[in-house]
Amino acid sequence: MFTSIHSLVRPGRDLRVDFIRGLALWFIFIDHTPGNLLGQMTLRNVAFCDATEGFVLLAGYAAGIAYGRAMEREGWAHAAARVAGRVGTLYVAHIFLFVVFTAQVGFSAAALDQAAYLDELQLDPFGAEPYRAMLEALLLRYQPAFLDILPLYIVVLAMFALVLPLIGRPGWLLAASLTLYAAARLLDWAPPSWTGSGWFFNPLAWQLLFAIGVVLGRADPQALARRFPWNRWLAALAVLLLLATAVLLNLTWHGPARGWEVPEWLAAWLSDVDKTGLHPVRVASVLIMAWLVAHWLPAGARWLNGPPAAPFVLMGQQGLAVFCAGIFLSFLGRLALELASGGWVQAAVNLAGLAALVAIAVVSAWYGGDGKRRRAPALPASAQGATP
Amino acid sequence: MARLRDLLRPALVLAAILLPPGMARAEPAGCSAPPDAMEAAPLPGSVAALSRGALRVMVVGSASTQGGGTSGPAATWPERLEKVLGTRVAPATVQVSVFGGRGTTAADHARIIAEQAPRLRPHLIIWQLGTVEAARGLPPDEMVEAVQDSVAKLRASRGERTDVVLVDPQFSRFFRANADVETYRDRMRLAAAASGAQIFSRWTIMRHWAETERLDLERAPRAGRVAMADELHDCLARALTQFILQGTLRGPASAPRDRPPG
Repeated sequence: MFTSIHSLVRPGRDLRVDFIRGLALWFIFIDHTPGNLLGQMTLRNVAFCDATEGFVLLAGYAAGIAYGRAMEREGWAHAAARVAGRVGTLYVAHIFLFVVFTAQVGFSAAALDQAAYLDELQLDPFGAEPYRAMLEALLLRYQPAFLDILPLYIVVLAMFALVLPLIGRPGWLLAASLTLYAAARLLDWAPPSWTGSGWFFNPLAWQLLFAIGVVLGRADPQALARRFPWNRWLAALAVLLLLATAVLLNLTWHGPARGWEVPEWLAAWLSDVDKTGLHPVRVASVLIMAWLVAHWLPAGARWLNGPPAAPFVLMGQQGLAVFCAGIFLSFLGRLALELASGGWVQAAVNLAGLAALVAIAVVSAWYGGDGKRRRAPALPASAQGATP
Repeated sequence: MARLRDLLRPALVLAAILLPPGMARAEPAGCSAPPDAMEAAPLPGSVAALSRGALRVMVVGSASTQGGGTSGPAATWPERLEKVLGTRVAPATVQVSVFGGRGTTAADHARIIAEQAPRLRPHLIIWQLGTVEAARGLPPDEMVEAVQDSVAKLRASRGERTDVVLVDPQFSRFFRANADVETYRDRMRLAAAASGAQIFSRWTIMRHWAETERLDLERAPRAGRVAMADELHDCLARALTQFILQGTLRGPASAPRDRPPG
């Protein structure tokens, strides 16, 4: 089976990026099914950053390569139109997921009949004003829990279409991006939301990671290696920092229940690390990890090209389809974990979830979802026989 | 004689804590709440108040402090806390005042505390928050700020005379599935650690009860739901009582040297 999946992998790209992206998509599925025991083993439990940072950085990386090439070949108008088309697809996907989410909430509210128990839950905006909520969702001003990554992606990608001409000048692009990031953080710039106070992910801040990804994707790997040379001591320091972060975070979260207290000033600093505005520490954390992975995982690593890595590589290559399917599947996973508990549900949700994600990637790669530009591989014999 | 009684009071409190009076149920105090969730740091303000004979508790929170599906106001956990804790620390008295209401956010609570605390001079503030924030997807940063500012102000004005215990949301599978509760709980824990407040994790305790099938409101048949809600609130009050008593045992003023001879 792995071999046939492997045959669908598009060669000639940096498979590391696809692999890590596939992993990030899997983590996003896990983190979106609360109550999932695997959720205690994802990045967010040990680092300042989590799969979202990785996803946005690598989305920028992929966009830099794909639209950068289009920009060079066809000019701004064409490349921008292509980005706009992508934005449209993402928007429709988001609205579809919104409808699914709403139906799921309604269904589980009826199934669990939680009536008077959690009075506060009836305060959710959709229940209170459904018509208004629908409009606000279309305007992206209302984003229910767990439906906040796609709106971020949509806005960041739309901004990218505007600055495409800067793609040949990475210095300018980064400077513009950093300026906007600083302004968003210091001046509290944020798009409005219905509930009154900003988005869960402020796109004006989060665009920084995307821009860094674009620049990395466009850069010549050799030049990049010269710019950020490998240094064993620096790497040791980086690993030490990441380990210290993991210990510190867990001590602060779980220490008090065991009688260990973290000094207040340290905890105060930790609690200032916000996700909404993409705190600089989160940027540093994901970039340090990227640097370490880029070195330890050489582009030509044999196992990356082998069948066992193929499912994740393929998931990464078919990013959008897998992402949307992941969010959709996480709704089903949540329903399952809500209605039953125990080891077998956990195993079933995770096995079925991962299998479905891989299946989506396979189908998408096979009929050419994200890989339209390449000729679709021949249909399997049986399928060919079935078509008249 | 009165002076002797005053001297002995801390010891009486201690004895009351160590020897729970006639336990009706054959289960550990606090309705078998997991010990991990009952670990409290010292509560100096409450210790001092108990040794003087009167503990003023201020409860601030959203809907569960007001009704929460119980048979009536008398069955809510703040009311039950006054009774249960009162019995355990007698002859010291416990007076609980409840503020807030359905749909109130941490920012609202911070305002209430700023208004009421100078008047009430509570020794213990039990602050239940996070549910409304998570249900509505309000920014976690604002919740964290409200907690940190509020506790810092209390520290400045009341010093060690007021302890603050944060109470996190009620556990519910429905809530867990449809709101990003973990994010808010993580941030709440950090805010507590940063400000010197403590966390009484209702979420952890109720999840334990649900998983061990001790108390599971979501799976309760409709007919028995109100009775189950009453029991839940009573058990929460008992668990909270254990938590507070443990915190007072670890308080500096309740050193064992106060133990009467003999």
